[in-house]
Amino acid sequence: MVKSSQNTIYDKALSAVKGAFPGLIYINNDSWLHSLHPLVKLIMLICFSISVFAAPSWLGGTILLILVLVAYHLAGLGLTFFYRKLRFILFFGVFILIVQVLAVKEGLLIWQLSLGPLTFSVWSEGLLGGLVMMLRFVNIISSSYLFIATTDPNRLAYSLMQIGLPYRFGFMLITALRFIPVFQQELEQVKNAQMAKGIDMEGLSPRQLIKAARYLLVPLVISALSKVDFLSNSMEGRAFGLYIERTYMYSQPWTSTDKITALLVPAAFLIFCIVLRQVSVG
Amino acid sequence: MIEPVVDIKGLSFTYSGSAVPALVNIDLQIYPGQFLTVTGPSGCGKSTLALCLAGFIPHAYPGKMEGSVYIQGKNTRDYPAGGLSGIVGLVQQDPEAQLCTLTVCDEVAFGPENLCVPAAEIQERVYSSLQAVGALDLIDRQVHTLSGGEKQRVAIASVLAMNPALLILDEPTANLDPFCTREVLETLNDLKEKHDVAIMVIEHRLERLLPITDRMFLMEEGKMAEVDSTTKHINVLSCSGAMINRTWSRENIVIDADEKVEGPPFLMVHNLRAGYEGKDVFSDVSFNVYPGETIAVMGNNGSGKTTLLMALLGIIKPTEGNIYLQGEDITGQKVTRRARNMGLTFQNPNHQIFENTVFKEAKMAARFLSERDYSETETEVLRLLQEFELQQYQDKNPFTLSLGEKKRLNLVSVLAYWPRILILDEPIVGQDSRRLALLLQALQKHREEGGITLMVCHEPNVVAVCCQRVLFLSAGKLVLDKPIKEAFKLIKQMKMDEYLPSGYLTDMDGKL
Repeated sequence: MVKSSQNTIYDKALSAVKGAFPGLIYINNDSWLHSLHPLVKLIMLICFSISVFAAPSWLGGTILLILVLVAYHLAGLGLTFFYRKLRFILFFGVFILIVQVLAVKEGLLIWQLSLGPLTFSVWSEGLLGGLVMMLRFVNIISSSYLFIATTDPNRLAYSLMQIGLPYRFGFMLITALRFIPVFQQELEQVKNAQMAKGIDMEGLSPRQLIKAARYLLVPLVISALSKVDFLSNSMEGRAFGLYIERTYMYSQPWTSTDKITALLVPAAFLIFCIVLRQVSVG
Repeated sequence: MIEPVVDIKGLSFTYSGSAVPALVNIDLQIYPGQFLTVTGPSGCGKSTLALCLAGFIPHAYPGKMEGSVYIQGKNTRDYPAGGLSGIVGLVQQDPEAQLCTLTVCDEVAFGPENLCVPAAEIQERVYSSLQAVGALDLIDRQVHTLSGGEKQRVAIASVLAMNPALLILDEPTANLDPFCTREVLETLNDLKEKHDVAIMVIEHRLERLLPITDRMFLMEEGKMAEVDSTTKHINVLSCSGAMINRTWSRENIVIDADEKVEGPPFLMVHNLRAGYEGKDVFSDVSFNVYPGETIAVMGNNGSGKTTLLMALLGIIKPTEGNIYLQGEDITGQKVTRRARNMGLTFQNPNHQIFENTVFKEAKMAARFLSERDYSETETEVLRLLQEFELQQYQDKNPFTLSLGEKKRLNLVSVLAYWPRILILDEPIVGQDSRRLALLLQALQKHREEGGITLMVCHEPNVVAVCCQRVLFLSAGKLVLDKPIKEAFKLIKQMKMDEYLPSGYLTDMDGKL
């Protein structure tokens, strides 16, 4: 199915943005990881992130990476998904490694290559340091990404509010999520209206492009502002902000798996870090 | 003696920055269980009155307020904005913009949660208020997947869940098709009869509201007058499409249904199929359009009307079928090239306003699409602005205009380059009777000059007055393509009564 205006500049820009941040969204699956309480997953993410920095060796980083990959598998997303969505991150991780290898010249000389006047050498500290940095980078980003992909943001916001996050902040998130599809739709409509008025997006000079972008932004911003007016009336009209506290119709349920996981995971990570320290000291 | 829910004494209000008062010396008592309808031309102060009753004025809007508003004996001055939210519920114009959570269930629970109602009672309220609007089956749905009518009912339920004594609805049916309109109005009637809520509806479209209204009010320039129930039909109908139907129809329904149009068709649509993301919105649509025809495109929301209009202009590429303009296949032609022959205005005027003054906006499309020279275009635009009563706003920012004025401006900008085919998506929304007449005159003129109009219109009365043919879409199929007389007969047979002009079933039957 070909949609129109595929070669307009907006679509190009949009797909470029989408390419750099591939689908940073909740993916509704039916897995063990999905069904965990959002706060348990948050605890897991925090423990994991601390461990990433507390485990300062390539061995620790590798074990953590394997853990992430297993988690991706358990979430029903799989390795192809991991690679497809995080290509850019993996590429950047390798780039970090290469820079480290080329820049750090300490420790033992592992490998050397001479090409006429140029000499490339790989030193142990450079290689290991690069590996650690790369693993840290990839681990932090891929675990956060997994958290987002497996946690319903709505449930997360409600859970956080119920353990004491001021509800204004929670609803900031919820309302933002609510209006993302609305504004996407409006963007589409404005683009259509531009075409109907004879504004051609192809073959524009940079100056004309700026003008065309203004034609896109002005209606969007105005429409957003008018929506804000309605929205604030609607929320205030339903007593939002009237009291400091509010009640909730459903409390997010904690299953026994949730409770056990919430206790076991921090303990496991603590032991992991201690053991790893021992190993690296020893 | 029963205590009134609302007691307004000598209320006047002037927005700061405005010289003209929005409300002038209003006195009004509303008692439990009453159903009020307030109508009047755009800008008459109806929405301001609603904001006063809900307690947003004087707190959230700067301005000068005189007199007082008592809600169940409480003076609105003494309560902050939202402080009366358990008593007065306001449903505003745009249901899309007032739903703030992701699921229907959360949305309806939102109000009582803020009022710190215990969880068990919230559940009861969510169920009973969704039931009251007939939307219990929507409870697990995501808000963004709802249709316009469903959103409207969820918005009403979310306010009902706070157990208000007074429910105010600002143009609750403005963006709904006749079918959803009937659903929403039936919901309101039910509430009145079973739940003893006082209801105030602000509305332009009155025909279907009148039977359930207890008290009728007319507003003009901030003043408010109750219309006597015995005379209300005569006075009040002048504000709605129905009156136009009655006066215009006698003179203007001269369309002979059997009249054969001469010559080859100007536009031919053959076996068209189109949709989004691989899903067909409509398919197998074929019809011909002849010079001088005005055609109504009707059907429920979601039946594919808007998509069809966009496919004609090429904004959506059809997956199958062809479009011929004067015999030439234009299926693959660029939108900007087609736009010279087809002027499309969309439903929401805000998405198609780009310039910072009304005058610039009106001539913008002509600049891209007209072959006329510059000064000629400007004269034509000035003439059109005058014709549509927009000349006084020439140098104003178009975004400050009212909805109806914006829609007229959209039409002016299209008429300025005289495309042979006008494609209008709900052009009459937000127009009072006088402006509606202006609009219909302009369409009539376009027709006499050999122009073609394809128009999505949810007002059967208007269709009866100005269209010669009806295309009726249902679930993506063109189920009816007939001259208007026959079309209404068939619509009646299809039991789609809400698509018939008011009075058609009783006294219009023989005449049309």
